Amino acid sequence: MHKFSLAQAMTIIVVIMVFATVIIALIIFNALFRDSVRDAAVTSAEQSVDQVAITLDNYTADMTDIIDRLYVTSVEEPERLTELFADLIEVRRDVVMIATYDAHDNNTGIWSNYQTKDMIYTNLSLFSVPADARGGISISSPHVVSCIENYYPWVVTITKSADETFSNTAKIAIDVRFSSIAGYVDEIGIGQHGYCYIIDSEGNIIYHPQQQLLYAGLKNENAELSNLSDGSHIKDDVIYTIKTLDNSDWKVVGVTFLDDTVTERVNTMATVTILIFLFVVITAYISSSFFSNLFTKPVKKLSNAMKDFEDNASGFVFEPIAGSVEVSQLSDSFEHLVKRIQQLMDEVKNEETTLRKTELKALQAQINPHFLYNTLDSISWMCEEGNTEEAVLMVNALAKLFRISISRGQEIIPIKKEVQHAECYLQIQKFRYTNHFDYEFDVEDSCKAYLCNKITLQPLIENALYHGLNMIDEGHIKISIREDGDDVLMSVADNGVGMSEEQIEELFTQDVTDKRGIGVKNVNDRIKIYFGDRYGITVESELDVGTTVNIRIPKITEDSAYDK
Amino acid sequence: MINKKSKSPYALVFTLVLLMAISAMIFTLLNKDVVESAFQPRSRQKSYIVVIGKSDYSAFWISVASGARAAAAEYNLDMNFVAPESEENFEAQNAMIRAAITGGAKAIIFSAIDYNGNADAINEAIAAGIPVIVIDSDVNSDGVVCRIMTDNYMAGRMAGEQAVANNPGELTVGIVNYDINSANGQQREQGFCDAVRESGRVKDIYTVNCVSTEDSAYEGTCELLAEHPEINTIAALNELMSLGSGYAIRDLGLEDEVDIYAFDSNAISVSMLETGEIDGLVVQNPYAMGYLGVETAYNIMNGHGVQSGKIDTTTIFVSESNMYDIDIQRMIFRFDDRTR
Repeated sequence: MHKFSLAQAMTIIVVIMVFATVIIALIIFNALFRDSVRDAAVTSAEQSVDQVAITLDNYTADMTDIIDRLYVTSVEEPERLTELFADLIEVRRDVVMIATYDAHDNNTGIWSNYQTKDMIYTNLSLFSVPADARGGISISSPHVVSCIENYYPWVVTITKSADETFSNTAKIAIDVRFSSIAGYVDEIGIGQHGYCYIIDSEGNIIYHPQQQLLYAGLKNENAELSNLSDGSHIKDDVIYTIKTLDNSDWKVVGVTFLDDTVTERVNTMATVTILIFLFVVITAYISSSFFSNLFTKPVKKLSNAMKDFEDNASGFVFEPIAGSVEVSQLSDSFEHLVKRIQQLMDEVKNEETTLRKTELKALQAQINPHFLYNTLDSISWMCEEGNTEEAVLMVNALAKLFRISISRGQEIIPIKKEVQHAECYLQIQKFRYTNHFDYEFDVEDSCKAYLCNKITLQPLIENALYHGLNMIDEGHIKISIREDGDDVLMSVADNGVGMSEEQIEELFTQDVTDKRGIGVKNVNDRIKIYFGDRYGITVESELDVGTTVNIRIPKITEDSAYDK
Repeated sequence: MINKKSKSPYALVFTLVLLMAISAMIFTLLNKDVVESAFQPRSRQKSYIVVIGKSDYSAFWISVASGARAAAAEYNLDMNFVAPESEENFEAQNAMIRAAITGGAKAIIFSAIDYNGNADAINEAIAAGIPVIVIDSDVNSDGVVCRIMTDNYMAGRMAGEQAVANNPGELTVGIVNYDINSANGQQREQGFCDAVRESGRVKDIYTVNCVSTEDSAYEGTCELLAEHPEINTIAALNELMSLGSGYAIRDLGLEDEVDIYAFDSNAISVSMLETGEIDGLVVQNPYAMGYLGVETAYNIMNGHGVQSGKIDTTTIFVSESNMYDIDIQRMIFRFDDRTR
């Protein structure tokens, strides 16, 4: 499963929505448009067909009217008939020929503006009139005139059969030029490719604008139309409009093709929609990348920033992220959050340090009275014995010890002072435990200027005296201080009873309750707090051989001491 | 990681859009018509096409023009029918082809007077990107898109077979042919000769080649009959040859002695069927040639293509006995017959 970014999802959704909308719009448009175009096409087809039918009806009505009047004249004034025929062919150019026949269909006369054939082999203009013909008049199908020399015009023959009273003439036949009707039908177009044609009641084609093509088999017309009633019929995207003439059994058929008009417009619509669709897709693509710049990318930056902050909270520096209003707000809030958290962290750290310092000072204060009582005891004891000289030395040493202990409240003092402090302490103890032990100092001069925590050596020496040398007659304590690379290494070695692993362990973990063990832990803690975990106390000890306590501190001079 | 992943669907979307844009461009280019109609829906200009015939007064060519006009009206084209005054003047036709090229014709429908003489001009038109459709008479060019014509050999055979059927005896045949450079005339002659020879009753075949005028055909027929009075069957291979031969036979009073089988029809040659100078007419369908020529041009211009490179139009045989059948009437007597 792919994971999509917001902008991609937006793009895809927009494209899909537009695509669906376009397709639906096209389908709806097509359906609606087809309906409306079809209705319009049907209306226009019916109008055209009506027009043709009316024209044809008028035309035949006109001709039957003429032939009726000729008949009336022939009955009332037979002598004028010849004259009337001559006038008629003169006036009506569409009358090609007038012929009269006797009761046996023998030709009794032909009138025409054209030269008739010397010998008429076939007369296509001779028709018999059905008995049930309205007014005794019949209208033939179109045919050519076969009686004229070198001329074969298409005509319809209108024949009027007379009754008995019409002595010599039993039938009058007028050949009326069909081309005027045909020309009219040719000119009627419906829609872009539509046309009209005429069929008889059996469905035979009377006239078709493309009859040459029909007869040559290059085109076919729907043969079942004669069965259809008047009106419009839609078959396979073709509209057939049918209208039967009033004066004859002919029918006018209008043919309209729905498809080309509709399809053309739908294609146009489709093209335009596809162009719109493309435009929208491209716009969506561009806007999505714009959106991505405005929103997605800043959000990603912000989330990266949060991760960085998670990894390194104290050292993190937040750079504000530009973007939309929402993003800016997020960015501002996050910045505020970062600052607040960092501030809180600093506060916690400071408070902790202060707390520790206070604690330490309290511990340091604890040392003094305990030692003081013992020393004052010793001094009073010396005075009692009259050992004033030693008592003076002892008091001096004690004074110096306290002076250094206090050191104007400073925690860090030069190693030189710390060594003096340790010496004073040892002097005092030596007075108290005369000749029980001896001690020596081995201090490199180069180390004396470096700083160390005050009261570092004294607790360790105290520990060696009370713990290591307690049962031993010739105890020996050696304090050595030397450089070790960037560090200063101090050690307090004794030749006492030594300690087991467990005892060493206890030195570093015991709480304040044990008054002897406190010193080592206290010193170790202080060194670590001031100089870091790398520094501190290590103990090497062998039972019945002795113990060496090593103190490692960094080389720190007076100048760099307050940087921490 | 996330960045890299998100790049591939982006590239996909971009490619899709690009592909669609390109395909749409191709689609619109191919359907230039659609685009044009999209931006100027109803006011489209009519395409101009030219029909170049061999003559503008014979019934045959009037009928071609009428078919062409019907198709032009149906397909909404601006059609111009032109033809030289003389049916011999192929140079005039070449001038018409060149005029059509410069006149911006979108298609040329052409009937060659001279199979080779018109070839260069037609090739120029084809080189100018104008599709050429040949009707009735072929031209010597490979670039013609479609040929619409009578199968002239079969038409000749049709006349020959009728001649054999109507005369049970021995046949001496005279052929009145026109321009020897016309492919049509030669093919008809070949078809006629093959058909009568197959009967095995042919004594001799004599051919006279006339200029394509009535008078030339009249003289040619008279000379042929003077030289070979035993001729009892004549084939007159086009409309003008038919008339010339018919008049010659009428003037010589040989209606009963000589049978004429003629090509094409007009009012006079049809009358001669009744009066007996002419015994049979092979009638082509010039209306269909004109109509189909224009229709094919329309299809080509609108990118629909042609179904086949050659369309045969039908021929019918008309004699005195069937000339007034309603179907034959419709074929041989045109509604717009203007011979009078």
